[in-house]
Amino acid sequence: MKLDLSDQALIYMQIAQMLEDDILRGAYREDEQVPSTNELARAYNINPATAAKGINLLVADGILYKRRGIGMFVAAGAGEAIRSKRREAFAEKYVTPLLQEGAALGLSRDDIIEMIRSKGESENG
Amino acid sequence: MDKCLCAQNIYKSYKDNCVLSGLNLTLEPGKIYGLLGRNGAGKTTLLGVLTAQNRLDSGSVTYGGEPVWENRRALDDICFSRELSGANLSGQNTFKISFYLKAASMFYKHWDGEYAEKLLEEFHLDPDKQICKLSKGQMSMVTIVLGLASRAPLTIFDEPVSGLDVVMRERFYRLLLDDYAETGRTFVVSTHIIEEAAGAFEEVIFLDGGRIIEKAPTEELISQFAYISGLEREVQKAAAGLQVLNRSSIGARTVYAVRGVKPGFRPDADVDVTPMNLQKVFVTMCGHGEEM
Repeated sequence: MKLDLSDQALIYMQIAQMLEDDILRGAYREDEQVPSTNELARAYNINPATAAKGINLLVADGILYKRRGIGMFVAAGAGEAIRSKRREAFAEKYVTPLLQEGAALGLSRDDIIEMIRSKGESENG
Repeated sequence: MDKCLCAQNIYKSYKDNCVLSGLNLTLEPGKIYGLLGRNGAGKTTLLGVLTAQNRLDSGSVTYGGEPVWENRRALDDICFSRELSGANLSGQNTFKISFYLKAASMFYKHWDGEYAEKLLEEFHLDPDKQICKLSKGQMSMVTIVLGLASRAPLTIFDEPVSGLDVVMRERFYRLLLDDYAETGRTFVVSTHIIEEAAGAFEEVIFLDGGRIIEKAPTEELISQFAYISGLEREVQKAAAGLQVLNRSSIGARTVYAVRGVKPGFRPDADVDVTPMNLQKVFVTMCGHGEEM
């Protein structure tokens, strides 16, 4: 199988993000092993140094840890660490563009808040 | 294995045509380098002088501190797998694939015959076939077999994928990365098919105007570049303090290609910011305005 990465974002960021997504989905649980640098490099046809950079990003964030000679594992509390990291980035990543696009279309803050409320209700109900 | 190849202030001309002019380059061990340059930029000439197959006019090329020219010890570690041709001086190239393999096995100190056999099978190449009877893609495959099976600590491929279809190109990069994962040896790969190779290159080298104008870790380089587009006044505001490499406009929309972008770049202006891929970065740096 040939897996594909988009060419829009930096590859190592995509590798980190994918592993995070899989941890959030429960594909890898705490203290479970994630694919090695070489496995990732092989699956995505990328340089092992790039795959390592993505993994190291997650090690620095306390999401993965290394067992010498064995591989990389999901740290305790990794799911919560990912969620809190993404919550912090949420406003910047989603709310700011939402407000910008709203302003360009002449929508008021109240219009937007109302839309979020009704959309939320229809999705829940 | 831990030796650097180092070119210092090298010059090379063919008659009046100065191909390399004061070029400096250091290749560190254990990396896969992508060598990118436009047609006629001098890629093959550069690779030829780095591997002592072509003579320099001036300057020096050293491997582990020793000159490479006529130095058996340095050349034992280096393989330059050139493009093959169906014709040679005496007419058609009627040598068989097996002849090239035999020659390589005598020439390359680290030659791995078993690996070569495996690769021939993988590419469905018949060793008894003459070079002039091969398709362009099959000739590329032979150069790939020679380069990979040389097991040379520094292995250089010149346009290894030029004749290959997309499936075989992916297979080549897969084989390259597999071998690299196993051996950690140094590779240099020149190519015009940039985007699909970008992920395999730890570093890229841009050759332009007879010099190296850029050598950097691939992703670090890409992340410095972006397009900023919108109304000109806003684009100017957003590009303040950045290097503007190219300006273009379509209707009321102005697009700047800029360098010097920091991570999380979010200018205080009404503009769109679009990242570049390696191919766009290359065109921006080496296009010289011809791209528009």
